[in-house]
Amino acid sequence: MLLCMPVWHVMAQDVGTRYIPSSLDSIQHLQEVIIISEEPSHTIATSQTLHGNELQALSTTTVADALKYFAGVQIKDYGGLGGLKTINVRSLGAQHVGVYVDGIRITNAQNGTVDLGKFSLSTMESVSLYNANKLDNCQSASEYASGATVYLRTRRPIKDSLDIQLRRASFSTWMAKANAQFERNGWSGFIDGEWTDSRGDYPFRYHSEFEDTVGRRTNSDIRYGRIEGALFKDGFSSHIYYYDSERGCPGGIVRRLSNKYVNVGREWDRDFFIQASYQKQFLEYHHVKLNAKYANEYLRYCTDYPENQNTARVDNHYRQQDGYGAISYAFMPWPWISFSASYDIRYSQLEADLKRFDDVVRIDQKQVMAVRADWHGLQVAGSLLHQHYKDQTFANVGAADPLDRWTPAVSTAYTIKGLTFRAWYKTIFRAPTLNDLYYTQVGNRNLKPEYTKQLNLGLEYHLDTRHWNASLQADIYQNKIENRIVCLPLKGTYTWSMMNYGYTFCRGLNATIQGRYHTDDWHFSLLNSITWQRDVDRTDPEDEDMYDKPICYSPTLSTGITAICGWRTLQFTTSYLYVGERMWSKADPEDILEPYHNIDMKLTYTRNIKKTSLGICLEVCDVLDEQYEHLPRYPMPGRNYKLTLSFGI
Amino acid sequence: MKKLILIIICAITVSLHAQERIILLNEGMWQADNGRMTYFEDGQVVSNQWFRDKNGYKLGDTPNDIIQINDSLIAITINWSNIIQFITPEGKAVAATEDIPNNRRLCTDGKYVYVTSYGHECLTTSGYKYFDKGFVAKIDLASFKTVAACEVGYEPEGIALYDGHLFVANTGGYAAQEYDHDLETTVSIVNASTMELEKNVNTGIPNLYGEMSQSGRYLCINSPGDYYEIPACGLILDCEKALNNQECFVVFNYPVTYNTTTLDGKFLAVGSCFSYITSEYEFSCLTIDPQTMIETGGESGLSLTLPGTLKSDFSEMMQPYGIYVNPYTGYIYGTDAGSFEGAGYLYQWTPEGQLIGKHKVYINPGHFLALPPDGHFDNVENIIRSMFDNGHSVYDFSGRPITNPEASNGIMPLRLYIKDGKKMILNQ
Repeated sequence: MLLCMPVWHVMAQDVGTRYIPSSLDSIQHLQEVIIISEEPSHTIATSQTLHGNELQALSTTTVADALKYFAGVQIKDYGGLGGLKTINVRSLGAQHVGVYVDGIRITNAQNGTVDLGKFSLSTMESVSLYNANKLDNCQSASEYASGATVYLRTRRPIKDSLDIQLRRASFSTWMAKANAQFERNGWSGFIDGEWTDSRGDYPFRYHSEFEDTVGRRTNSDIRYGRIEGALFKDGFSSHIYYYDSERGCPGGIVRRLSNKYVNVGREWDRDFFIQASYQKQFLEYHHVKLNAKYANEYLRYCTDYPENQNTARVDNHYRQQDGYGAISYAFMPWPWISFSASYDIRYSQLEADLKRFDDVVRIDQKQVMAVRADWHGLQVAGSLLHQHYKDQTFANVGAADPLDRWTPAVSTAYTIKGLTFRAWYKTIFRAPTLNDLYYTQVGNRNLKPEYTKQLNLGLEYHLDTRHWNASLQADIYQNKIENRIVCLPLKGTYTWSMMNYGYTFCRGLNATIQGRYHTDDWHFSLLNSITWQRDVDRTDPEDEDMYDKPICYSPTLSTGITAICGWRTLQFTTSYLYVGERMWSKADPEDILEPYHNIDMKLTYTRNIKKTSLGICLEVCDVLDEQYEHLPRYPMPGRNYKLTLSFGI
Repeated sequence: MKKLILIIICAITVSLHAQERIILLNEGMWQADNGRMTYFEDGQVVSNQWFRDKNGYKLGDTPNDIIQINDSLIAITINWSNIIQFITPEGKAVAATEDIPNNRRLCTDGKYVYVTSYGHECLTTSGYKYFDKGFVAKIDLASFKTVAACEVGYEPEGIALYDGHLFVANTGGYAAQEYDHDLETTVSIVNASTMELEKNVNTGIPNLYGEMSQSGRYLCINSPGDYYEIPACGLILDCEKALNNQECFVVFNYPVTYNTTTLDGKFLAVGSCFSYITSEYEFSCLTIDPQTMIETGGESGLSLTLPGTLKSDFSEMMQPYGIYVNPYTGYIYGTDAGSFEGAGYLYQWTPEGQLIGKHKVYINPGHFLALPPDGHFDNVENIIRSMFDNGHSVYDFSGRPITNPEASNGIMPLRLYIKDGKKMILNQ
């Protein structure tokens, strides 16, 4: 129970309500409350969070697995443990989603997307999704610079411990994980390591009137190792991370007469980053934060294998380096208002041994001015962001012209008796990535940025009692995307090029309903999310086939329900996810991805013997064994099992 | 009265034969297994899923070329499925082979089908053959087995048969990714019966990629350039001169990305010149008289026009993806792939170039085949010189080798023979 309680209170705090300490635990949890108290009241921003216990209760391997339960999230997954996993929030596109670890953005100047499969939940305290961005007193400029933001917050250890986990899962998957953490004299930290090996040869079946294809995924294996560490003291936090993987990149399942031809493409990744952040409040009115990061990424993609007799023989290496620094300052003359300013600079370098490619250096600077006020339940926030991008390259296509843009965002909310009404508007763009601009035989250095304009109206309600905690959140929104950056074949040639083409318009509703009940021995949670949206093409009014027609891969309805039931250290979770029908081309009404229902179950039991604990966890994913896809002809694994044993001191 | 009834019966009989019968291949999207076949008859799309309608299963991933072989057989390359599919003109699948991976384009002599491939491996009746570069494979239609394969240049694309020789346009198109070779500049000439490479004609022009139409002895070849410094252009190659080791081609400054042959032996072409340096393209429409082009060394024979409204209709398309003249009727067809995510369109013009219809088809419609209006594949070609003077085999319509044409008896029309895959009338 004592282990359980902090989770409840942190949760209550994060969703924006005042923590009223219960008489028994108040002293026990004072330290946690202090940390959390720096968190702003979140009701002004549209956000969803999964924390500690609930996060661990889901059947998740990666961050992507957790995010799919959030309202407004569409996941793109090529299938299997090694398949690229990206998310798209409210149909803005994966490159508009910023992913932040402890407030510092994970970037990929090359393609602008983050493979969420690379991040583990075992070191995370919480995963949050903010539509538009988080609104805090002292944020770096880059935190304002994406259409939607995912925050991964690292767990700060509160005691010394060592945990070891061993897992055996379907499709020849083995995993070993260890986590050691300490807390001494105000310093705390952890080292977390994981090694996974999976053959990933899951069976699939395509069954329709026109085919009955049965097979096993090949070239879908992955092996990876990850080691990371973090160190914290008061306002200082730091994180070091290394990930090394080798995986197969399987293709789409297409008509073949036999299994004779296997297209082998393999990918190696080595990602490293080190980051540190320091924040301090002084003289009551001033708040300063400094961020620094260095990242180094290596990627190799190879198809030059003897069994690949029928494809291009590619063997390319990409190296990216990224240096980042930010300084943020907030001035709070009165407790109810803050003014802040921040400057960020990022240096990115991309090297690749592609033909007709030369190193590219990008310097990206951002400044923001923001104001936030919270006066008798009325909250107002506004920001003005300036971004400047400049590239340098000796590639013969030349560098793109520098990009210089201002973008605003405004938010307001009013809270009365636990009920908050909010409205916000944000304009933001994504700069063309280095691939968009310079990639051999695709890049177009004349690209303009892709703009999004988001308007949101919402309400949020919280109810907290001694045993009950409930919340309701509903937002209606309207998004416009202009100058979409897409790859299209050019008029009258077989050549493809990146182009600015397209305008989309999206209206939708996101809602979450959460209820939690707990007694001394029992706890129950029911978390629901629902997304309804209509996302249409508004590019060319003359084009009857496309105009006002739904955007591909965008479901009208999707919903997730998670039920957690716990008794002492025994816990059972069932998650249900429904994703409606999605079109994957506009050419024929037949080109749809069927709706799917996904049910996952997880049973966990922990036995504490003196200072040690032993745990066992059984998970069954896709209980109904539904065959489904996120992309046509890229089947997802069906029913699969995971058995995890854990040992902790 | 009897005469009137006879006329009506005749009229009905004639009208029972559809005049415009077009099979159109829609490439679909790569790795989405959605290649489709459209069947178009007399102004109407009968089906955009014709192969599946007729066979109960899907065509495959990225169909890339279609040709008619004889009255009862059509061949299709399905590139990413690694399949060469044989169907009847009614759409029924009769055979398929996967011996030739990464297959590209086809030609035939009626007894064999010749296929270009970007791949490096080919299963033949004498075992696997491996090649460093690309190859041409020869499929025997009696068995649908690959009987021979011959290495040509890297990534060979267009293929045509002339006088017992295969003319293969090499691209080297993977040179953008592969380090072991550069863009190709050659046309390989392969002896079709021995399947041996006779020579490579170096055009000096890189990347001979795109549609390659044939008009008798002339070929219309496209080069998109290297997409950077070397601009796109077009070539007319004279096969006869190439075989006789004479100066055999002319180059002109307009690409011919999509091209076709007219009934009077000219080429119609639509193309675009693009450079990644400027990210700008120039669109062009051409009518080429290959004979004049060759005879004048490129001085004349080229005009920047197309019949009727074709030029303006093509320039209004978002993404032109093919042009074709029905060799039986002269009606002209073109396709627009649109915005790529949605369905493409098939355009139909009269032989004079008057637009008469626009029909919704499927994704990336690019490869056409007209079926003979009376159901009889009529690829008859007159030859001037004697049929038997160059040592090539001549067959009758039962496939029997003929040494003395007079000995042939009347199962098939007299004086009609097959030589080098063409039906021929013996001029005596």
